[in-house]
Amino acid sequence: MIATIRIASSGKTDSKGQELLAEIKRTFKNNSITSIKTSKVYRLEGISQRDVKKLAEKALYEPIDQIISYRKPIYKANKTVEVAYKPGVMNPEVASITKAASDLGIKLLAADSSYEYAFFGKVNENLISEIINKLLVNKTVEHIVKTPPKTLVIGGEPQKTKIIPIRKLNDLKLMQLSKDKLFLNLEEMKIIRAYFQKINRDPTDCEIEILAQTWSEHCVHKTFNAKLTIDGKLKKPLFERIKSTAKNNKKIIISAFVDNSGVIDFYDGYAINGKVETHNSPSAIEPYGGAMTGSGGVFRDILGTGQGAKPIISTDIFCFANPDMDSINTPPGCLPPAYLLRRVVAGVRDYGNRVGIPTNNGSIHFHNDFRAKPTVAVGSYGVLPKKSATKKEPQIGDLIITMGGATGRDGIHGATFSSAEMSDKTMNISGSAVQIGNAIEEKRVIDAILIMENQNLISSITDCGAGGFSSAVGEMAKKTGAEIQLAKVPLKYPNLAPWEIFLSESQERMVIAISGKNLKNVEKICDLYNVPFAQIGKITNSNKLIINYKKEMVANLSMQFLHNGLPQRHMVGRSKSIKINEELPKKIKDYESIIKKIISHPNIASKEPIVRMYDHNVQGTTALYPFSGADLDAPNDGVAIKPMLSKPYGVITTHGLNPVLNNIDIYWGSIWALTEAVSNYVAIGGDLKDAALIDNFIWPFPDEESLADLDKSVDACVDFANLLKMPFVSGKDSLSSTYRYPDGKTLKIPPVLLISVFGKIPDVSKTISSDFKSTNSIVVLVGKSDLKNLGGTIYFDITGSKSAKIPQVDLKLLPKVLSTITASAKSGKILSIHDISEGGLISAISEMCFGGACGASIDLSQIDKKTRSEFILFSETPGTFLLEVKDEKATKSLFSKIPHKIIGKTQKEKTIKIKSGKKQIVSISVDKLKQVWQKPMKEIFHS
Amino acid sequence: MAKTHEGDIPFMKPKVCILRSDGTNCDQELYYAFEKFGGNPKFVQVNELRDKSKKLKDFQILALPGGFSYGDDLASGKILAIELISFLKNQLEEFINQRGLILGICNGFQTLVRTGLLPYNKIGKMNVTLAQNESGHFECRWVKIKLEESKCIFLNKVSLPKDGLDIAVNHGEGKLLAPNKIINKIEKDNLVVARYIDRNGNQTQNYPYNPSGSIKAIAGLCDPTGRIFGMMPHPEKLVDVTQHPNWRRFQKSEINLTGKYIFDNLVKFASHS
Repeated sequence: MIATIRIASSGKTDSKGQELLAEIKRTFKNNSITSIKTSKVYRLEGISQRDVKKLAEKALYEPIDQIISYRKPIYKANKTVEVAYKPGVMNPEVASITKAASDLGIKLLAADSSYEYAFFGKVNENLISEIINKLLVNKTVEHIVKTPPKTLVIGGEPQKTKIIPIRKLNDLKLMQLSKDKLFLNLEEMKIIRAYFQKINRDPTDCEIEILAQTWSEHCVHKTFNAKLTIDGKLKKPLFERIKSTAKNNKKIIISAFVDNSGVIDFYDGYAINGKVETHNSPSAIEPYGGAMTGSGGVFRDILGTGQGAKPIISTDIFCFANPDMDSINTPPGCLPPAYLLRRVVAGVRDYGNRVGIPTNNGSIHFHNDFRAKPTVAVGSYGVLPKKSATKKEPQIGDLIITMGGATGRDGIHGATFSSAEMSDKTMNISGSAVQIGNAIEEKRVIDAILIMENQNLISSITDCGAGGFSSAVGEMAKKTGAEIQLAKVPLKYPNLAPWEIFLSESQERMVIAISGKNLKNVEKICDLYNVPFAQIGKITNSNKLIINYKKEMVANLSMQFLHNGLPQRHMVGRSKSIKINEELPKKIKDYESIIKKIISHPNIASKEPIVRMYDHNVQGTTALYPFSGADLDAPNDGVAIKPMLSKPYGVITTHGLNPVLNNIDIYWGSIWALTEAVSNYVAIGGDLKDAALIDNFIWPFPDEESLADLDKSVDACVDFANLLKMPFVSGKDSLSSTYRYPDGKTLKIPPVLLISVFGKIPDVSKTISSDFKSTNSIVVLVGKSDLKNLGGTIYFDITGSKSAKIPQVDLKLLPKVLSTITASAKSGKILSIHDISEGGLISAISEMCFGGACGASIDLSQIDKKTRSEFILFSETPGTFLLEVKDEKATKSLFSKIPHKIIGKTQKEKTIKIKSGKKQIVSISVDKLKQVWQKPMKEIFHS
Repeated sequence: MAKTHEGDIPFMKPKVCILRSDGTNCDQELYYAFEKFGGNPKFVQVNELRDKSKKLKDFQILALPGGFSYGDDLASGKILAIELISFLKNQLEEFINQRGLILGICNGFQTLVRTGLLPYNKIGKMNVTLAQNESGHFECRWVKIKLEESKCIFLNKVSLPKDGLDIAVNHGEGKLLAPNKIINKIEKDNLVVARYIDRNGNQTQNYPYNPSGSIKAIAGLCDPTGRIFGMMPHPEKLVDVTQHPNWRRFQKSEINLTGKYIFDNLVKFASHS
């Protein structure tokens, strides 16, 4: 018997219902539904009638502001829809219900919870089904409850291990085996066939799956390690080139590209580490769970570095199609951008806030070419003692322990699926690759591991991410060997096949190797922090990966073949020629309306409503906030935190990207992103000598053209890092940004190069914000602006103009400009600073005025007398900065050796006055401009 | 003052039990705040009180930090409240009887309300609730509060700042709600310790100055003995100048450290009583 309880708010506000209603009105422009009321539905199984009431009254229902109904729906509406997670999908609430019951001494077999939506007004079935499909239900993880479930227990028998007769398969059949499941190519499948022919047996399903996972693009980076021929010229592998930048600053590196994240030096015997991951494929089909598990995964990468690091910063960078894109343009099998945006933000919010890591740096970029697949990048940074900062190999005889979440069928084939292109079928085929995260499970694991690290109990640690145990154990025991007993793995339900247990990517698990003598202490810590754990195997000296399930051996693979059996690829790239017919904008008649269009462009518009939902100062460490200024609503160029509260030391991080430019000129688009990232870094007071770089290449499937682009982008990264004497210490490539329409046509998502910078600063009180601090101070433009090339700028975008020439950075001058900014920041003479970026001078000056609650008058003729005023105002040259300095004398003392122009003054009157010599160009109210700038995201997030 | 183990210095640092459960995440900054103002904080897991390897009666202050205890997937603080009522009722009552002081911030306040300890010190009887913010979601922002003359035992003898204090809010469920009768009684009994105020210094229902829509702009409450105190905003997140979101716009001396009023006075009171 299942008891059903419904609980709803007794007050007037029903924010869930109101939010859905607002979203219906925004999306469908339909007012026929007048109100929506929601109730929470609890289902309880294996519980006595009396205990149902007790559990409800003690744990689920609060009479002060709620109403309760046993059995019947609370609202009598024209239409009622109940939305629940599908059986087997993680519902974190269930753990709460179970714990409450247990603490109250109540016997309960199983529980579930869901939401019921009651629609009032004129209810039209078509509209309801549109609402369900586009706003309410994600079929990947949720379903509509039509008839109440008979049981909540997932039963069944474990499935048997199968033998795959691969030795007999011809090439066609090999590819049938690979398609939609293994995602390996024919050459790779043939190597596997030959291997088993050689050892005279057929593989088990478990062995094939392990090979597919270990050899997936996601895990082994075949393209980045490949020999390349680009336009007929032989070139070194991409990865080798990036790694070569380590030579630029050996002093700061503790480990680069060998651990779960890059590690650099900090102060007082500590190190800091950083990692940026992408979770594009899961987020495309289930944005809420995709973003959550993305955050969860990158936090575990930080945690799993060295012998355990504490995550201290969470970042998020997204690219979506325009939220207002006509829904007709959403490709089949893809989700509408506004839904993706809202759900990704909710996922980052609900995960990061719970784990308690400040989410304080990020950005969002919009372009309709992201309509088939968004970019969802999540980063994290951590701190750890230097003595624990280098990864140790496990010792032979060490016990292999899994900690944290139980293993289920969720997330199977995540590693292989995310290496594949997307199509209208992706949601159906790969639905099981997506899951919902349980942040509290992760928080428990983090707390426990940091104690173990502190007590020196861990021999080796790694996170259980893509590829599950297969990847974690396979990597950890690469040089030794391991034997695993799958029957010891704690399961969510019993009906998993052995290969599924080994490959599952169920979240919130860490794998550690410990010496037997530490087992007692590890157990004690796990118990204290309520962390489930199990000893699942041992490190051996067999050089084999042996997997048993009860008495059956389900895999016996040579580590040598597993890790070295895949031959290096040789790939060929050919540059495409891009033809763009230049269309320059017409002379501007109405500056005010153009400026408003720029400032309200979704790439420029304020993202404050999003940041306000992220806990960005938990841990009490944030010292430079994402927003500051008189009304705390002006954005800064990056973030600074003080990870040790009693010490002045800071960790700072910034980033840069501009995918639109990459479709026009890949090399200079990449340079733009790189320059933007380091400009942000020096703008907030950072010194590049104390910093390192992280790359993320989110690229279309590497066909010849895209591979040539990738090659150029990597060249840009390496040239740039060498120029500034900076090392790359971590990075990630995701080469599946291609969508295939049902008719076979493909859509390439723009290549995204995301560059993150992180580093240390001895004193956070030397960091600088962007808000103007006083009136009558001097506004200086520092650096050399490219006033000719505006291809890809926001100004060109809103005017429909085109050019193949994108903003160029003067690379000869750049190192000097950046080091001068750093020196000026240290001098304490800069009152405020903002780098010039998207939207150009006008967007920088506006944001500085928003922060200062003041105005400014600017004379463009000080910059250039001959160039069109609008080109000066809207040019987007990274590596140039707008600064507020007290007076001319200070300006001279700081910038005499680099190009700089005093262009105006701040003023009390809240207007921005732009002139060129004697010619007045525009005078615009700061308050009005701010309203326009804040409006777009306020609308989407109903704030 | 209760005996401590460290020696016999006349004004001992009061021992503070920072009670952690699964999902506690504002414990480090709370620890730092107590330490900075002369307390002797210790992290204690709920499990350690349950198995009696640590005892509440060995502390002078019990502090419940912010976070998402057990995920806060039902109501915020609910599961921890059930655990405290089910297993630690006696220890809590003993602690209160020996004149211990209790502080709950954010999730800690939500827990105190759901145990019934606030506002009327009746374990198992909830009088008020903290409901979802009117905005419908988590709010992370700085607001102003005013500390009021109240029963709060460590604040009622000191001179309170006349101006509003800057303070961080970081919560999704902070709207205090109760039947009118209870609210009137709370007011009459002088249990309101802090209220949200607008730019003119007046208590306000307007968003975002009152970030949750909390009734009568209530941000914090104490019980009638004044020894149990809880608030939604986070005083522990402003004990150093650089924690202020706008420290660059002021002289250092101009920044009023909100945490100082709470922790300095609380620790002083505990060490003198």
